[in-house]
Amino acid sequence: MAQLALKNISKDFGDTQVLRGIDLSIADGEFLSLVGPSGCGKSTLLRIIAGLESQTSGQVMIGDDDVSGRRAADRNLSMVFQSYALYPHLTVEENIAVPLRMRRLSSLQRVPVIGGLMPGAPARTAEIAAAVTHAARMLEIEPLLGRKPGQLSGGQRQRVALGRALVRDPAAFLLDEPLSNLDAKLRVQTRAEIAQLHRHLKATFIYVTHDQVEAMTMSDRIAVMMDGAILQCASPDVVYDDPEDIRVAEFIGSPKINILPAEIADGGIRLMDRHLATVTGMPDQPVRLALRPEALRLDRSDAPLHGTVTHAENLGAEIFAQVVLDGLGARVTLRIDPANRNRVAIGSTVGIGFDPANAIFFDADGRRMRFEIALTRIPAPVA
Amino acid sequence: MTTLDTSPVARSTPRPRDQSRRTAWTLTAPALILMAVILIIPVGVAATLSLTDYALGNPGFEWVGFENYEKLFTRTSYAKMFTATFTYVLTVVPLSVGLGLGAALLINSLTHLRELYKTIYFLPVMATLIAMAIAWEFMLHPSIGVINQTLAKGCGTWLERLWPWLSGHCAEGMPLWLGDKRYAIWVIAFVGIWQGFGFNMVLYLAGLTSVHRELYHAAEMDGARSGWERFRLVTWPALGPTTVFVVTISCIRAFQLFDTIEAFYPIGAGPGKSAYVMMYAIYEKGVEQNLIGIGSAITMLFLVFVMMITVIQRWLVERKVHY
Repeated sequence: MAQLALKNISKDFGDTQVLRGIDLSIADGEFLSLVGPSGCGKSTLLRIIAGLESQTSGQVMIGDDDVSGRRAADRNLSMVFQSYALYPHLTVEENIAVPLRMRRLSSLQRVPVIGGLMPGAPARTAEIAAAVTHAARMLEIEPLLGRKPGQLSGGQRQRVALGRALVRDPAAFLLDEPLSNLDAKLRVQTRAEIAQLHRHLKATFIYVTHDQVEAMTMSDRIAVMMDGAILQCASPDVVYDDPEDIRVAEFIGSPKINILPAEIADGGIRLMDRHLATVTGMPDQPVRLALRPEALRLDRSDAPLHGTVTHAENLGAEIFAQVVLDGLGARVTLRIDPANRNRVAIGSTVGIGFDPANAIFFDADGRRMRFEIALTRIPAPVA
Repeated sequence: MTTLDTSPVARSTPRPRDQSRRTAWTLTAPALILMAVILIIPVGVAATLSLTDYALGNPGFEWVGFENYEKLFTRTSYAKMFTATFTYVLTVVPLSVGLGLGAALLINSLTHLRELYKTIYFLPVMATLIAMAIAWEFMLHPSIGVINQTLAKGCGTWLERLWPWLSGHCAEGMPLWLGDKRYAIWVIAFVGIWQGFGFNMVLYLAGLTSVHRELYHAAEMDGARSGWERFRLVTWPALGPTTVFVVTISCIRAFQLFDTIEAFYPIGAGPGKSAYVMMYAIYEKGVEQNLIGIGSAITMLFLVFVMMITVIQRWLVERKVHY
């Protein structure tokens, strides 16, 4: 186990810059997720860490070692691939044993039939068999050891791929969207199992996913990537509550964060020409006001912010209602307690209220704005 | 709903199972008839004729039992036939498969000029063998052939000291190649490999496209450092089905060797019958000498060999290489 560090990693494919100077350090035993939309460069970054792809510039450090020029086989990392990449002609047991056989047996000891007669081979083979059994027991795939990958379900294959990764003791585990080929139910279950496995092994995990829910639920820290750069790298709570960039705010969280156009004018924040709060020392400018669905609440229909319910999704424990705001034309999503179900019939007019202290502000370029606001008036019912 | 099924409406249809059976037979009939006419009946006729002394034009024939088969396994000319056939098959199959795989792997590793190399190696497959045989005949000509002229250039140089075979021939005269029974079948095997491996290469190239790229990355992560280790772990197993097919096709094509022999030796199948392969024997007995009985017996034997290869292929495909 070791810590990892990326220093100013860039990658170009011809004229296209895929990664732009990535700096990242991953602590020993940390679970870090690289999350971002398709094509943001997260898989390329993982493959550069693995050594399967070479960076155009920059360094990859494992512990105190600069492994930048070293090939993948010599970096002591394990990887779980999206397609699992199991060897189809080998049984589960043989698949899991491959990394150990390749590293612990000499090429002569690996020759079929006569390899087993080489000096030292029987002892090492027994060692390998014990390690494979241990890994299989940890993942509860012992009954599958004799089968071939073609005879396994997706979830079982995924476990075998995990088994092959953790059978030896690598510096870090790299997981490239390992859950994306599983059905929704199995994904939730496996998500919890991988998180548990991480707690049990206390190993460094780097997990690539485009699914922000996976990143939020499993990681110690999330690195949100977009257009080849890390926009923010922080704990799930911070990324959710305190995003640095409007793109991070929009990407993390489901349903998506609501963004309303507002402005700073005359020392106050104004939304739809209504004064929300007082700010000091900020020049007049347009701003974007972002509110999580749970920061909005239902209000009386004559509230300053009001609109028409166009869609409601009842998830049982909560309801997400989509409301088109009168005057703004913007569509916002708010979370509603199931007790208020009858208030959000489609087509009905509802008022919306919020606490400006829960609002997150971004400037016109999408960068986070931090300032003290003094609440002068909460847009609550007038009467 | 079960009551509906036994209602008079359902029963009024005249036995639907019989009808669907009749439809099935009607639909299968064209294929069955074709198979019978062009495959099963001719094989049956050949099997019957192999037990007779029939000759084309004779009004009748005598049953001779297994006499024709007995000849096949006792006469020296047929011993020569088996020697020539198996020498050819056992040389051409491994070498043309190996070279085909090698060429496919090399071409697959190229970034440029792939198409050019593919075309070059595939040209002999497309060329008319008769024309190619004439070209080879010129090249192999004992005195004016380019091969012997090239070899003769090595005489009197350091090459002669390194290569005893060459120095022997420098003293005695260059080999006759096609006219020497020590060389004849090997020269034909060489032409067979030259002509056939391009086809195997194309099949292997197709097989290589189905190898999952991520498996190579997995192998690298698992510590497979050399190209050979990656080949053993990923490429070779993935090419299993292709290999079985390529070997089968190559075997059958090798057993079918005829046109090269016919082009090189229009009479006699080589010096001392050293290139007397099965197909040529069938042609010579059955067509040239009008001994339909013995010709049919060789044909049946030929069929047995091909059937054996096919059965082994089916078994391998189903048991070993489909994961």
